[in-house]
Amino acid sequence: MSALDLLADMLRIRAFEAVLVSRRDHGFQLLSSGAEAVAVGVAAALTREDQLLTSGRSIGPALARGLDPGRVMAELLGKASGTNRGKGGRGHLAQPSEGFFGAHAVVGGNLTIAAGVALSFQVRQIPAVAVCIFGDGACAAGALHETLNLAAIWKLPLVLVCDNNQMAVSTPRADALAPAALSDLAAPFGLPHATVDGTDVLSVSEAMRAYVARARSGGGAAFLECLSERFYSHSSSTRETRSAAEMAVVKTRCPIERLAAHLLDAGDLDAEALARMRSEAHEAAVAAMAFAEAAPFPDAAEALTDVL
Amino acid sequence: MSSDIQPATTKIFFREAIARAMREAMRDDPRVVLLGQDVGPFGGSYKEFVGLSATFGPTRVRDTPVAEEAMIGLGVGAAAAGLRPVVSITYMDFLMLGLDPLVNYAAKARFKTGGQIRTPLVVKTTAGAKGQGVAHSQCLEAWLMSVPGLKVVAPSTPADAYGLLKAAMLEDGPVVFMDHKRLFPTAGEVPVAEGHVPIGKAIVRRAGTDVTLATHSYMTRIALEAAEALDRLGVSCEVIDLRSLAPLDIETIAQSAARTGALVTLEEGQLTCGVGVEILFQVLERTGPIATARVGALPAPVSSNPVLEAAALPDADRVITAIRRLLESSRPGKS
Repeated sequence: MSALDLLADMLRIRAFEAVLVSRRDHGFQLLSSGAEAVAVGVAAALTREDQLLTSGRSIGPALARGLDPGRVMAELLGKASGTNRGKGGRGHLAQPSEGFFGAHAVVGGNLTIAAGVALSFQVRQIPAVAVCIFGDGACAAGALHETLNLAAIWKLPLVLVCDNNQMAVSTPRADALAPAALSDLAAPFGLPHATVDGTDVLSVSEAMRAYVARARSGGGAAFLECLSERFYSHSSSTRETRSAAEMAVVKTRCPIERLAAHLLDAGDLDAEALARMRSEAHEAAVAAMAFAEAAPFPDAAEALTDVL
Repeated sequence: MSSDIQPATTKIFFREAIARAMREAMRDDPRVVLLGQDVGPFGGSYKEFVGLSATFGPTRVRDTPVAEEAMIGLGVGAAAAGLRPVVSITYMDFLMLGLDPLVNYAAKARFKTGGQIRTPLVVKTTAGAKGQGVAHSQCLEAWLMSVPGLKVVAPSTPADAYGLLKAAMLEDGPVVFMDHKRLFPTAGEVPVAEGHVPIGKAIVRRAGTDVTLATHSYMTRIALEAAEALDRLGVSCEVIDLRSLAPLDIETIAQSAARTGALVTLEEGQLTCGVGVEILFQVLERTGPIATARVGALPAPVSSNPVLEAAALPDADRVITAIRRLLESSRPGKS
């Protein structure tokens, strides 16, 4: 993917979420604006055969993986045309056929699942990699340490990506987690690990390419920490605990503005083209919303289908 | 079919029945893998996996560290991505450590993904008290019965251990296979021919006319002991072995209870929100008022102290007393 493609993908995520939150009747949503570079940088390092799993904060990763925006929007609104027939909703987006094994809204709950997907690849000798994106909040969970240990012992084709947006609902990362760097958590298990600037999509994708290639060739698991920002509160119905002054600083670390400035400086992009890209991203989001709004809710009888 | 034509059987131990089911399934389907503590060359805590590691190797028979959440989580993830794992959780008490991936992910994956993901996973775990104390003795199957998307089976004989494990490994969703410490050294006839026992079907272990006694797992043996003694007292007790707890074969129990007019449940676990109360209510919904009673553990932890362990758990005498008291109050003169 070219840097322009990466920029376009990030713009699409930002615009998608802006359209989603513009309607209050769309309820509780987990937004990933500010962390687009993590989603897009990770997805850029994957092939179609690989599987991406995420925390509940999954809109960015789902779109970056190439899921149809209309179907994603429909799922977020609980519509039958959604990726999960409207039955998963926010926090549980999934489309394994597209390499998006899916989100799971228990914090840390997808870590062991991702390791299991990696185990399946390994046992069946499929040269694919499982990647799990989780937040800093999950780093306190025992599941991470159990997963790191097994991934190391069994050399699983697994890359763990901590999207460290530095807040777990209202708790700052520094108040909740002792390690100096969260990537240090992988050190005792002998796994390659690094911390990169999660607002720099080029850094994220470069680090991911190396870890994914290593895992794919049998070299085993790795841990990448991406220092990102959360531009919204925890969810669209959670009150913001950061001050306006703090938010102003947070918003200076915008992955989109960063890449756009880089491309403008390098002469790979001009202001007119950038404006066109923003406009296209917005139109795509509006179209996704129109599709989702027009889609029907599932029949109430669906409450009992696909249970057993 | 003439009733005097019986399928050829062979007498084996309960633990051997489990090993046989695993061996056949692993031979037939390369997607079947076994994960657990001490399941490899050691052969399982109760020798129920003996020989599998030598035959199928360390890729498919994997010793794990002590990490139940990861063991079940990896099993669930691998199931969702194309394998058919069996995860061995040594004791049911430790299942609590791995309930998140089992309950929050495996039991809901099919539903929440609109049918895109299935999790064909078997969690095999050992329940019951045998002198190992408060955190190695529990029967927690009633917790699991209330989870939509989860199946639960609890065999009491080697034939059912073999047949239900074979069936569980053919399912497309998660199944908890619950065995019992006191069952491993028991022996019984198992069909020589390969096959399976369908999940969701109870079986009448002993026919009777005065009272229906519904139970499962090791307590089936206690129930049969009690029924034998009651017979000598002139009480004819029908014993139903549930075999499958989720789904429950409530029709078989209800038909029996409607005929005998009295239903007693027996379980080794707690009575509060237990297996028995669920059965009794579902049967009463079908039969209308009949005489009912339930027998289970005392509302207390189960100690490793032999006196206290025995005091906490149901035995044949308690079953006999409960049934006689029930029949005395509902049909004076019968017992």
